[in-house]
Amino acid sequence: MAEGLAGERALVGGLVGDQPAAWDLAGELPVDLLRKLGAEGILCAEVPAAFGGLGASSHDNGELAAYTGSLCSSLRSIMTSQGIAAWTIQRFGDREQRRRYLAELTSGQLAAVAFSEPEAGSDLSAMRTQIQPSGGLVVIDGQKIWTTGARYADHIVVLGRYGDGAAAVVVPSDAPGVQVEPVPDPLGCRAAGHSHVRLDGVRLPASHVLGGGGQALSLLFTTALSYGRMSVAWGCVGIVRACLHAAAGHAKRREQSGKPLAEHQLVARHLSELLIAEQVSTRVCEYASRCWDAASADLVMAAVLAKHVSAGHAARSASTTVQVLASAGATDGHVAARAYRDTKLMEIIEGSNEICHLLLAEHALTTVP
Amino acid sequence: MTAEQTSEFAPATADSIADALVGFLGQRLKTKVALDQELFKSGLVSSMFAMELVVHLEASYDIAILGPELKLDNFRTVGAMTSLVLRLREAEGVSRGSAGADG
Repeated sequence: MAEGLAGERALVGGLVGDQPAAWDLAGELPVDLLRKLGAEGILCAEVPAAFGGLGASSHDNGELAAYTGSLCSSLRSIMTSQGIAAWTIQRFGDREQRRRYLAELTSGQLAAVAFSEPEAGSDLSAMRTQIQPSGGLVVIDGQKIWTTGARYADHIVVLGRYGDGAAAVVVPSDAPGVQVEPVPDPLGCRAAGHSHVRLDGVRLPASHVLGGGGQALSLLFTTALSYGRMSVAWGCVGIVRACLHAAAGHAKRREQSGKPLAEHQLVARHLSELLIAEQVSTRVCEYASRCWDAASADLVMAAVLAKHVSAGHAARSASTTVQVLASAGATDGHVAARAYRDTKLMEIIEGSNEICHLLLAEHALTTVP
Repeated sequence: MTAEQTSEFAPATADSIADALVGFLGQRLKTKVALDQELFKSGLVSSMFAMELVVHLEASYDIAILGPELKLDNFRTVGAMTSLVLRLREAEGVSRGSAGADG
């Protein structure tokens, strides 16, 4: 396994330590830790060095997301959000916006990206948030739900309608008319700062609209989500690794009926399934990262595949791990319990299992005449 | 996501770019599109394919399509995309190697 970003990995490990259980129970991450990781460029490691980033490959950043995800999926979710924001700005922002915002995102400022609305999840056409030009300003009105990391964010990248197309606008979270309300008691990734965001007549200089706006909503959405899918996919690899580690360790040490659990064949089967899950999800993510790093058009579909395969394996692995650990893993905050709750959300965000199946089926049809 | 590879289509002219695009679209969309046919409004281009198209153009013509160039107007038709590719190749100079971070 390549060891790019080894120093960054060590820094994450050192700063995180044994705190994820407490973060999960409290439902909050320490903001100073997020800013520290942000200032090291770790939260969006693929930002090119020319903009102050680490310039990591998709593969190395993926392994970093996996490592972080093996420790704490809430923190990995923050990485995902910051990374999507940076990627969206890098793609759609003009020169000045790229320079300005990417410097901020690699020096401690935090960003979230607002997609979902009360009436619009997978169905883009139902998106209602409006970004309207008004002189040299834009006025933003809408409601976003379940915006990951919005609770901690300095900037919220808001996707909305703009004329007959769409736009992404960088909204300072303290701008008048912005209201951020944390989701109370989320099922999983409890400390990831998921929030509902209300935008009521928010007026900003037009320079906050990425690239001047007027993109196709589909392009904006898929470009932003593709990064998110890569990050979630690798994060799920991390969850599977944490599960494998916890289950194998427990099965080796814990004895029942005079022998270690691992020597009971039905438990051994669980361990083999966990190993298979770890290998399969790693390989599918490596493939997607290879497509990404080679700038191949296949990356779009490979990201969906990686996300879907990894999330499914992570959900099954978490369930298996709770089964193997039994009472030893059945308390909130425990790595197995967190994985069990967090992975259900991974089967929903950045394209639910069902949406992934539809996209993959659509792709299957393009492969025949 | 900048392209390292050099163009397989060089020298690219408006005709060769448009032909290659019609070929690519025909292969993926299973239909022959006209040069002035609306691709997005007609629902021909799925959300996945929109991004594939951008990455495909970048890789095929060694260009970076960033920021204001990603406007829908540049992708509405084969003709619009052809103009975009020609303009970016000219602006960036296709022999300059890879697109830098600031593309």
